Amino acid sequence: MAYDLHFDWSSSITEVMLGATKAEGGTRRLSYRIGGGTTLPFLETTQGSSAPLIAFEICDNPQYWSPIVRNYCGDLVNDCGEWAKTADSGYGSDMIRLYLTSTRQRNFSDIPSVGKTVESVLSNTSLPLIIEGSNEPKIDSEVFLKCGEAGQGERLLLGTAEAGRYRSIAAAAMAYNHSVIAQSPIDVNLAKQLNILLKEIGLSRDHIIIDPYTGSLGYGFEYSYSAMERIRFSALKGDTDLAMPIICSAVDTLTVKEIREAGPAIQDDIAVQWEFTTGLAAAIAGSEIICVRHPKTIPLLRKAFASLKSGKNTIGGQ
Amino acid sequence: MALKALDIYKLLPKKNCKECGDPTCLTFAMKLAGGKTDVDLCPYMDDAAKAVLSATTRPPIRLVKLGIGERSFAVGEEFVLYRHEKTFYHPPGIMFKIADTSTPEEILAVTVRVRDESFTRVGTELRFNGIAIENTSGSPEHFARAIETIEKTADLPLVLMASDPLALSAALTFCGTYRPLIHAATPENYKEFCAIAKQHGCPLVIKGKSVIELAQLSKDCTTEGVQDLIMDLSPESFQEFIVRSTTIRQLAITREAPDLGYPVFLDASVMEMQDAAITLGISKYASVIISTPLPSATAQAALTLRQNIYTDPQKPIQMNPGLYRVGNPGKNAPVLMTVNFSLTFFTLQGYLESTRLPCFMLIVDTEGLSVLTAVAAGKLSEVLVRDSIKKFDVENEVSHRKLIIPGYASPLSGRIEEATGWKVMVGPRDAAEIGEFLHEEWKQ
Amino acid sequence: MRTVTFLPSYRKIEIARGSTILDAAQRAGLNMNVVCGGQGKCGKCIVYVQSGKTTFDGQKYGRFFTDDERSRGACLACETSIESDVQVFVPESTLIQEQKILIDGQETAIEFHPSVRKYYVELQPPSLSDPSPDLSRLLWGIQKNGGPTAEKMYVPLEVLREIPAILRHSEWKSTGTIALVPGGYRLVDLQENDTSKRLYGAAVDLGSTTIVVYLWDLVSGKVAGVASNYNRQISCGEDILARVNFARKNGLAKLQTLATESINAAITSASNTAGIDREDIYEVVVAGNTVMTHMLLGIDPAYMIAEPYVPVVRRALSVATGRIGIACNKNGGLFVFPAVSDFIGGDIIADILACGMSEKEEISLLIDIGTNFEVVLGNSEWMFSCAGAAGPALEGGEVLFGMRANPGAIEKITIEPGMLTPAFSTINGIKPRGICGSGLIDLLAELLSTCVIDRTGRINTGIENPRIRTTGHFPEYVVAWANETDIGKDIVITENDIKNLIMSKASVHAACLTLMKQAGITRREITTIYFAGAFGNYINKNNATIIGLIPEINIDQIINIGNGAVTGANIALINRRKRKTLDEIAYRIAYIELNAEASFMDEYTSSTFLPHTDLTLFPRVQKMLDTCRVAKR
Repeated sequence: MAYDLHFDWSSSITEVMLGATKAEGGTRRLSYRIGGGTTLPFLETTQGSSAPLIAFEICDNPQYWSPIVRNYCGDLVNDCGEWAKTADSGYGSDMIRLYLTSTRQRNFSDIPSVGKTVESVLSNTSLPLIIEGSNEPKIDSEVFLKCGEAGQGERLLLGTAEAGRYRSIAAAAMAYNHSVIAQSPIDVNLAKQLNILLKEIGLSRDHIIIDPYTGSLGYGFEYSYSAMERIRFSALKGDTDLAMPIICSAVDTLTVKEIREAGPAIQDDIAVQWEFTTGLAAAIAGSEIICVRHPKTIPLLRKAFASLKSGKNTIGGQ
Repeated sequence: MALKALDIYKLLPKKNCKECGDPTCLTFAMKLAGGKTDVDLCPYMDDAAKAVLSATTRPPIRLVKLGIGERSFAVGEEFVLYRHEKTFYHPPGIMFKIADTSTPEEILAVTVRVRDESFTRVGTELRFNGIAIENTSGSPEHFARAIETIEKTADLPLVLMASDPLALSAALTFCGTYRPLIHAATPENYKEFCAIAKQHGCPLVIKGKSVIELAQLSKDCTTEGVQDLIMDLSPESFQEFIVRSTTIRQLAITREAPDLGYPVFLDASVMEMQDAAITLGISKYASVIISTPLPSATAQAALTLRQNIYTDPQKPIQMNPGLYRVGNPGKNAPVLMTVNFSLTFFTLQGYLESTRLPCFMLIVDTEGLSVLTAVAAGKLSEVLVRDSIKKFDVENEVSHRKLIIPGYASPLSGRIEEATGWKVMVGPRDAAEIGEFLHEEWKQ
Repeated sequence: MRTVTFLPSYRKIEIARGSTILDAAQRAGLNMNVVCGGQGKCGKCIVYVQSGKTTFDGQKYGRFFTDDERSRGACLACETSIESDVQVFVPESTLIQEQKILIDGQETAIEFHPSVRKYYVELQPPSLSDPSPDLSRLLWGIQKNGGPTAEKMYVPLEVLREIPAILRHSEWKSTGTIALVPGGYRLVDLQENDTSKRLYGAAVDLGSTTIVVYLWDLVSGKVAGVASNYNRQISCGEDILARVNFARKNGLAKLQTLATESINAAITSASNTAGIDREDIYEVVVAGNTVMTHMLLGIDPAYMIAEPYVPVVRRALSVATGRIGIACNKNGGLFVFPAVSDFIGGDIIADILACGMSEKEEISLLIDIGTNFEVVLGNSEWMFSCAGAAGPALEGGEVLFGMRANPGAIEKITIEPGMLTPAFSTINGIKPRGICGSGLIDLLAELLSTCVIDRTGRINTGIENPRIRTTGHFPEYVVAWANETDIGKDIVITENDIKNLIMSKASVHAACLTLMKQAGITRREITTIYFAGAFGNYINKNNATIIGLIPEINIDQIINIGNGAVTGANIALINRRKRKTLDEIAYRIAYIELNAEASFMDEYTSSTFLPHTDLTLFPRVQKMLDTCRVAKR
């Protein structure tokens, strides 16, 4: 008998375009087409299917950022343009994810500064960008519109839509042709519900990236892992409302007890190891964008992905 | 595919004789469907029906035991490709590899480490499982001596990695009765290896360069009388591992290829990026994972991932209800009530710790349900809160009478105030905002 | 206020001018047949106005009457408003027992096979030539009159002691009452002279809030009277849990007495109205939830309310009424329905009997919704059941302006899609005071189809309309402005209310899905959905489907059986063959503990969406919503 893998998948993951080159109407040096998968992660043996993207997360107000990263990156954290430039040329990430943490200060109202920050990051790196806007429903609309406007033509990925607040971000994305991160709390049904809500206000499927919320390793990752697997499984089985690429961002990883309480000598190592393990396992479960905060995690993930995409994959002759 | 209760019911005699211990055939069928009882308990089922039922309820992957005594462990007996379909039952054993060329001190150090090291997470002790000794020296005496050193120090499951039958035999004089795992039979040497495994009653790793070769080899070895097999897929890349191990798991659980119904072995130490290989093995169906002794950063991450992947995804982990302290709270410290769903607990605890404001966490027993679902299911009630305040003696711990409840429990706020006499403050829905909330609202 | 007197019972009620006769009847405790929910569509609530002034459009509803009926003053209770004091005759056919028994338009009344019979005998006095004993003489006489054979008859000592005097005093003309008991017959009473026409039975729905009693003439097989009143145990606690706790602290005796008294009060009221002597009631059949029936029998229910939730007894029980103090003939029999578990009680078995699902080959789904809900899925071969807490939202609780189905409650509502102006009707037609369960379901469905809320129930605050606003913590939709209401404030529904409603409906739907999964069937295989409980009677089936309270099936296949508990008790009272099947039915039902079911939470989460996360489960609703929502956008 032939020992072949056979799944009766009926569908594939919707492709989403991130970033736009000059030819595509933007200013990026490259753009990505993610999605398109027709089976479980890394079972695809054809050449040309791309490895998951690695996004490095930065912010414009490092006050709440992990001290581990602040120590490692030094002064860069105070200038998100420079930080982005280093992430691109130094750390070697595929994308930059900018958190507009400045908007999270109380009574923030300096909307024009949002545009300036986005523009500065855009001019300091030519990688495709993910922008995380406000956390406050009252200023959502203005902040997202400003981000959208500043990145017009660049096919940004805007975050984050949730079931309770998705209208203003979707409106900004639709107005300027960006994509949206749709985040739901670790549940395949809630992920699907949000996608339906977005669809119903007119956002097309190929402009949505699912964020099933990644709990840190040891603190909920077990649920995130299965949520990712279930999303991928449902998508391949033909559920178009779940057939979008998945983004993984284990934002709380660097604050878990094991890392917080680690001695200074090994704190960096542990931090990297936890980010790496989480990111790799999430990729195996179906994530196509892996976000990290420690620069040293990037080369590790890159190398592991290369081996996972080796193409030398046969089940060993027939 | 698992049968539904009703499908099973149709195969039962429907006599409601109660002899199986269940009140009716229908409830017996429900238990059978859930794997909670045994087909043989029904005295009236005809053989054809029994055959159908046993075939679908028998584990598709063989259970293989390594070692004896307290630290022995079993792998295999898995039923699903995705853990959300049921759960993964038998976590992989992670074994540290040492060469028999190492000094006795080195061997001893690793042995003691595996014997003694443990990390406690959510009430469970996490450990590495045993030691793999490689016959690097090529000398049977060296090999035997290394094993003697280990055996004198600890009763740990072992993997004997050797290609020379003489070396194995020498080693087995020291540990043959302790069910070490023998690595590895190949198409070339399987007869000799099977003879040794059979003689000592040991489980055996079979190593093939392809899935088809492994299927043939497992058939050959069982013919030779060795049933407890574990399969080394000898992958050359991560992708090769993932494709082969997924193939084997799928063909085994669908019972399409019973010859592949054995646990999988992964020697991460021979792969480039051992850490990544371990992660891959844990996630994708490896049952025995070999690695060099891991530095502590990697060790914790690997054990934590294993714990994560092998918990039942449908069953929330629960915390013990009680009054927990964050920092060193005094009589005026805030009291935050929440549920005993572990994820809720740890998330809140993490954020509370980073606020650096000492406080109490009052954890009430919602049977592991999250706040939202506990409110919906009626598990979180004012009575529970009142009783918990009493039970954990909160009134003597603090001098105030203010209780902060989760945002999702806001529908209960009035009733909690009434039942407890405490002033209720409705906190944020998202634990991430607790710092800001306390900062602004907690004025005392 | 106007006084309405209902004949033939002479029950009186005061009600505001302009109220309908149906309103008055409902307040008087008369359960009228309102298949259409009181919309003037079914023509079932025919009454005769005998005196006084009313308004009724005889032309419009003429099709429901014969000329003769019209000439005698026939009108529809739901469409007739009261102008002055009136006297209204209510024919028996209008009372609800007929409707509930005639389910699904099948005109099959309950077959009449009572288990108690009376036999009038005229015996030859004994003589020296015929010296057989009194008892033999009596039993032989009964046998000759068509009664059971003497050998099968058990005669209790109490009755035996009375025989010689009664026979002789009546000059050997007496009436014996014989009940069918397991394994034979029992002579339960002997009366002087011919009382064979006076034989009654009572069917009781022992609810935790309300008790309903139907008195049956067990000779003619007709209903002789109906009464209902509140369960007096309420004084010991609103809900069951509180009462069990009360019993723990203060003993069970008081609760047992209150249960008996409540039943007695209803029996007495029905007897008085019908002019029946309670001593002529020989049989009482009680259907109630497991805790209620335990309490009635004085059995400790305390072990039922905590894990592992074990009742003392499941099977049907028969005891002499005298032993628990039921106000009827002291030798009468009390029959208590069996239960499946602590959560699936005799009331649900009665529902099953009422809808007949356990006798049908095709698969039915029975849903009984109150604060708790029970769901049964199955057919004549197998049945699964489960129960859970729906939360009070569907009954109007946990909703800011929610209320029970009392006068002034908005019970029906539509929203005009353009200006989002609502149109509603209230119970009794007075100015609104709040919104009851059926109104809330309508409201949710209408808010969804007009895009005021999205599928998670969140209000789109971007819509510019004065009815959509955020005054307090949550966004809200104004259903009625203060000046339109009876309470002087705006009646609104908030996002939080909507969330509570969605959580309630999700519990019910998830329970249905869990049972369907257990059985391995899809909604397409469900032939009929039965709604039991007061709630079901007024619910808009289409809207219940739109919000995903129940699985989507053909609307015509959703049937309200109303108070199934009392219907089931009625059936068991007058048809002993059906009664005999009850233990077997209860036994056949497998109970599924939802909390132990790993997939329940998953089903619940997927049900917290309107109508459901998996839209393929609601193709008709989806199509309808697509049309109206796209138009709106």
